[in-house]
Amino acid sequence: MKALLAILKREFLAYFFSPLAYVVLTAFLFINGYVFYAILLSLNSPETSRQELMALFFKNVFYWIFMMLVSSIVAMRLIAEERKSGSIEALLTAPVGEGTVVTGKFLGGFTFFVFLWLPTVLYPVALSRYGRIDFGPIASGYLGIALFGALFIAAGTFASSLTKNQIIAAIVSFVMILAIFLAGIFRELVTDPNLKEALSYLNLIEHMDDFARGIVDTRRIVYVLSSVVFFLLLSARVLHGNKGK
Amino acid sequence: MLEVEALRKSFYGTVAVDDVSFRVESGEILGFLGPNGAGKTTTMRMITGFLEPGSGKVTVDGIDAAARPREARARIGYLPETLALYPEMRVREYVKFRAELCGVPRKATKSRVDDALATCFVDDVAQKPIGNLSKGYRQRVGLAAALVHGPQVLVLDEPTVGLDPRQIVKVRELIRDLRKDHTILLSTHILPEVELVCDRVVIIDRGKIVATGTPETLRQQLTQAPGLAVGLKGEIPEADGILRQLPGVVHASRMGVGGETRVLLEADRGSDLRENVFRECVARGWTVLELSSRQATLEDVFVRLLAARDAVGADKPDDLPAAVEESEPRGEARS
Repeated sequence: MKALLAILKREFLAYFFSPLAYVVLTAFLFINGYVFYAILLSLNSPETSRQELMALFFKNVFYWIFMMLVSSIVAMRLIAEERKSGSIEALLTAPVGEGTVVTGKFLGGFTFFVFLWLPTVLYPVALSRYGRIDFGPIASGYLGIALFGALFIAAGTFASSLTKNQIIAAIVSFVMILAIFLAGIFRELVTDPNLKEALSYLNLIEHMDDFARGIVDTRRIVYVLSSVVFFLLLSARVLHGNKGK
Repeated sequence: MLEVEALRKSFYGTVAVDDVSFRVESGEILGFLGPNGAGKTTTMRMITGFLEPGSGKVTVDGIDAAARPREARARIGYLPETLALYPEMRVREYVKFRAELCGVPRKATKSRVDDALATCFVDDVAQKPIGNLSKGYRQRVGLAAALVHGPQVLVLDEPTVGLDPRQIVKVRELIRDLRKDHTILLSTHILPEVELVCDRVVIIDRGKIVATGTPETLRQQLTQAPGLAVGLKGEIPEADGILRQLPGVVHASRMGVGGETRVLLEADRGSDLRENVFRECVARGWTVLELSSRQATLEDVFVRLLAARDAVGADKPDDLPAAVEESEPRGEARS
């Protein structure tokens, strides 16, 4: 447990020593601020209902593109960087299991991801000064962000374990995340009812719609958490497999 | 304390380590000597658990590393050859990170980190980022990180490579000091280092152990008798052939350098060639420019030992004489 926290802390702090982190942070706030502003503008017309504002913020197309892109970039260095520099040797010869290493790294990346979203909490706080805000759906919206962020970063951690090259890790991770994302959309294309049913469980857009409306469905949470565990197990497997080489 | 049995490892069909076995006794410094690419790093990586052995067994302090890997690793402090530390971390921060990683109890962490920093003489740079340090400092930070959790065994892969002479001396002193509390396995391709630092030596080449023993016994087994260097005026291609005929000469090699001929002779044990060589040269009308005794170093022998393995069958026995005078000055091979 102490080793896990030590790795988490190191990974999280390491982001702030790389210019990449600041670029991501700035771009992130810029785009999110812009989206927030655009939604605000469109809702200013009298025929739209004000309550949906934050819901829109959580489920617009920019949100998804950004989630996917940012997760890939946040996760790409987690293992690939250490494989490239060789510091992975000292890490893996410490008396900790591969599972701890992978989990610690994933949590470090995930903590940074959460950190990126923190400033956006100001938006609903600002809104609440000008009207009545239901914080329930907002909280569940952020829960959705955290869950899907965890899923994407776990996939990214796995991609990062596959290569020494961070760019390749980012691309692989983006493709994997995109595939996970699109799986739900494929539902529209298949005719087999069983497959349709199965794919609809994977429909992240639908999941997020629910969260943004304040519906917290434990099936969604189980789906995400089990996927996270799956990807982390795969990553640990890869690290272990490299020892045989 | 550390025992390696019949380790074997191949990468994509190429055998890197082939049937390597040795023991490092408690409190001993064992030198693991071999040219680059001999399999030293691969062996050390199998000992430290970074690579899984293809076959064979590693036992650390009685613990089978394959069955209880984490317990075995907890007893080992490892300084990898490609010393990659996190450049953005400060020295103290990194050593503390390693302490936490290796399960040092929270209460003991601070004193352990302080001890490790002091032992390795890096306490003066404790607050500096690792990326800003010189290679010598980084090496010692790596060492501090390797021993912060109090391992019984230290595995040091080429600890002095890439350092300047002053730093090398410092790191060697440090290693000798560490033997008080640790059993040390140290790899190197520098022979003098072995003689200066190690109690016992294992020589490895192309994945196989070729010799084992204390530096002294190895010298006795391997070192050639003193030789003679003869410098002659003019190109004399037949010089080595003729001088080889002299009694007491076991080996002769010749090279021509800018209108001069230089012949290196190796003497049979106990024979003094100088007089015979001189007479022979005079009799043939050669002008002797140089006649000097040459002490074969462990280094020469090491190179020839490995070369002898290359030449299959031919010309080997006389390359490996059985013994050498006891009185041979030990400092010869040092630099």
